Amino acid sequence: MATSGMMTSGFSPVMANPGMSFQERSVEVSTGTTIMATEFDGGVIIGADSRTTTGAYIANRVTDKLTKVTDYIYCCRSGSAADTQAIADIVKYHINFQRMEMGEEPLVKTVAYIFKQLCYDYRDQLTAGIIVAGWDKRDGGQVYSIPISGMVQRMPFCTGGSGSTYIYGFVDSQFKPNQSKEDSLQFVSKAVSLAINRDGSSGGIIRLAAISKDGVERFTLTGDQLPKFYEDS
Amino acid sequence: MSILAYNGAAIMAMKGKNCVAIAADRRFGIQAQTVSMDFDKVFEMGPNLYIGLPGLATDVQTVHSRLKFRLNMYELRENRRIKPKTFMSMVSNLLYERRFGPYFVEPVIAGLDPKTGEPYIASMDLIGCPMETNDFVVSGTCSEQMYGMCESLWEPDLEPDDLFETISQALMNAFDRDAVSGWGAVVYIIEKDKVTKKMLKTRQD
Repeated sequence: MATSGMMTSGFSPVMANPGMSFQERSVEVSTGTTIMATEFDGGVIIGADSRTTTGAYIANRVTDKLTKVTDYIYCCRSGSAADTQAIADIVKYHINFQRMEMGEEPLVKTVAYIFKQLCYDYRDQLTAGIIVAGWDKRDGGQVYSIPISGMVQRMPFCTGGSGSTYIYGFVDSQFKPNQSKEDSLQFVSKAVSLAINRDGSSGGIIRLAAISKDGVERFTLTGDQLPKFYEDS
Repeated sequence: MSILAYNGAAIMAMKGKNCVAIAADRRFGIQAQTVSMDFDKVFEMGPNLYIGLPGLATDVQTVHSRLKFRLNMYELRENRRIKPKTFMSMVSNLLYERRFGPYFVEPVIAGLDPKTGEPYIASMDLIGCPMETNDFVVSGTCSEQMYGMCESLWEPDLEPDDLFETISQALMNAFDRDAVSGWGAVVYIIEKDKVTKKMLKTRQD
């Protein structure tokens, strides 16, 4: 089944949910999704859609897939909702510990490598595609991609989730290094909007965040604020 | 994934005062991927008779073709327009002929009696079991959501303009909770002397 490995059939102990049909009771809750992160001049921009599905039922249409790990480092979650939430909580725990011991903000690279270690060691049991993005004072804005198998790779920009397949052409042609914050926000919101338009597992609103030395600024694009493209009638 | 959910669809019909309405989404997709947003699932079978076909897209088109053929032969032999109830039996027969290798469509029928103008709606399962109701019928991948919306919003004897609003809101809010239907909607309001076709502006996600 061509769903970019985002949904796995299998028994999951989901609480009795009257909204689910009979077939959906044994399908995982998945954030079949579109997530994205890009470096800009001074930090990073991250973005995601807001749809969580159980089979074809939209269980949550206002999900927040941009999860805080520290004040300057966020992660974008795709894949199994339960797996990614659990991993993010464990990483947060480890990094809080380190922050207290070291007395200074952790590096983005450190957070990315802790994510990687969990995703790699438990790769057979997890379905998690994560993008770690943030700012630290040593290397500025950084984006690290941690796809399903548990590798880690720093990249100038990255997309993920089932919706990302529809926008490879767009992002490859439109990305420019060292853009301004506003241009990067436009780039991410257009890309996510295009993916939402084509991917059934992505939708809802677009959540964005800009992370720089000044901290995190969050944005939400709803309804008519989503970038529009050619649509007949 | 179920074969009936491979392409995804949402169709419903409602009875009003001397009118009926039938509405459908416009998505054509292959599992999670949306291929086009202008796929017709509601077909005119007579001046005041419409059929909506949700389900596997190839069967939507084939059933429509084969049904049109049978209907044309009927009208040539009988030299008159078919009654909605008779048409329902025709569809049921066509589907049951394929009892052990069925067409993957679960049709919705809406129309007015050609002589009396009395409103008629019906739906059926993929092997032709018919269900006639006096309020509304729904079919598609988000049928549970549509049942919820119709049950809350429908009331008897709605005028055509009110019926349009009701069916539009019921359909849109139902398919907004379904990942494989939506991407546009079309509504037909069928009255004795005219049929109004309206496109709805919907979320494109």
